[in-house]
Amino acid sequence: MAQAEIDAAAEKRPLSPHLTVYKPMLTMVMSMAHRISGVALYVGAALLAVYLLALAFGPGTFSAFSWIVNGFFGHLIVLGFSWALFTHLLGGVRHALWDRGLYMDPKGRELLTQGTLAGGIALTLLTWILSTLAG
Amino acid sequence: MTTQFISGRTGRGAAYVSDASGAAHDRFMRLSAGALAPLGLLAAWYVVGLSGKSFEEARAEIGRPFPALVLIAFIAIATVHARKGVESIIEDYVHDDETKEKALRVNKWASLAIAVLWTLAILLIAAPK
Repeated sequence: MAQAEIDAAAEKRPLSPHLTVYKPMLTMVMSMAHRISGVALYVGAALLAVYLLALAFGPGTFSAFSWIVNGFFGHLIVLGFSWALFTHLLGGVRHALWDRGLYMDPKGRELLTQGTLAGGIALTLLTWILSTLAG
Repeated sequence: MTTQFISGRTGRGAAYVSDASGAAHDRFMRLSAGALAPLGLLAAWYVVGLSGKSFEEARAEIGRPFPALVLIAFIAIATVHARKGVESIIEDYVHDDETKEKALRVNKWASLAIAVLWTLAILLIAAPK
């Protein structure tokens, strides 16, 4: 077969399906959310390391970097960080259950995935409420 | 770590698979996740607690022995877990060899820097005067 024919045949072969040809479903969305929240935690940890270092150096550096956790923007960062952490943590629990062969059926995996999403939001709210009450 | 995969369609080196290191990666991610679950819950509690606090209040919180130890243990395991996780993402989505090498190197040093700076900061805050 000539090279051109081989190339033409290769073009026609199916590729494994990817994002663009899938109808979005919750298990897929939460799988993506697991990766995205992981990367968000990486960036958040870097920001928090800067904040902690400023806190270690003294009041001068602290006032320059305390925006990371204080004020409107800081609260938004910490809110996002805690939500990403809880969502990623529950994503890990979901994988631990799937590893053991549990909740693999159509209803079970949908329920478990909804639990990851709702649980992440619930844990975030609970933490902020308890933290505010604790002062 | 990935090894070169010889594909009938694309030839040597066009794709990468983790045929030699996949199991070890998987085992590490799951074991570290088991440790990070309780540590992460506590770390989240302390970090949320920092929000809105003044210099003295924040230092008082981190300065206590238990939160300091939890936050150090958390970041030590979390940064290795994060480095390996982002390694997988880079290997999945960055296909240019040179960019991939660079991204993997940045990931390695960035994760190490976060662990070192975070730990150093907490040691400085929690150390007895």
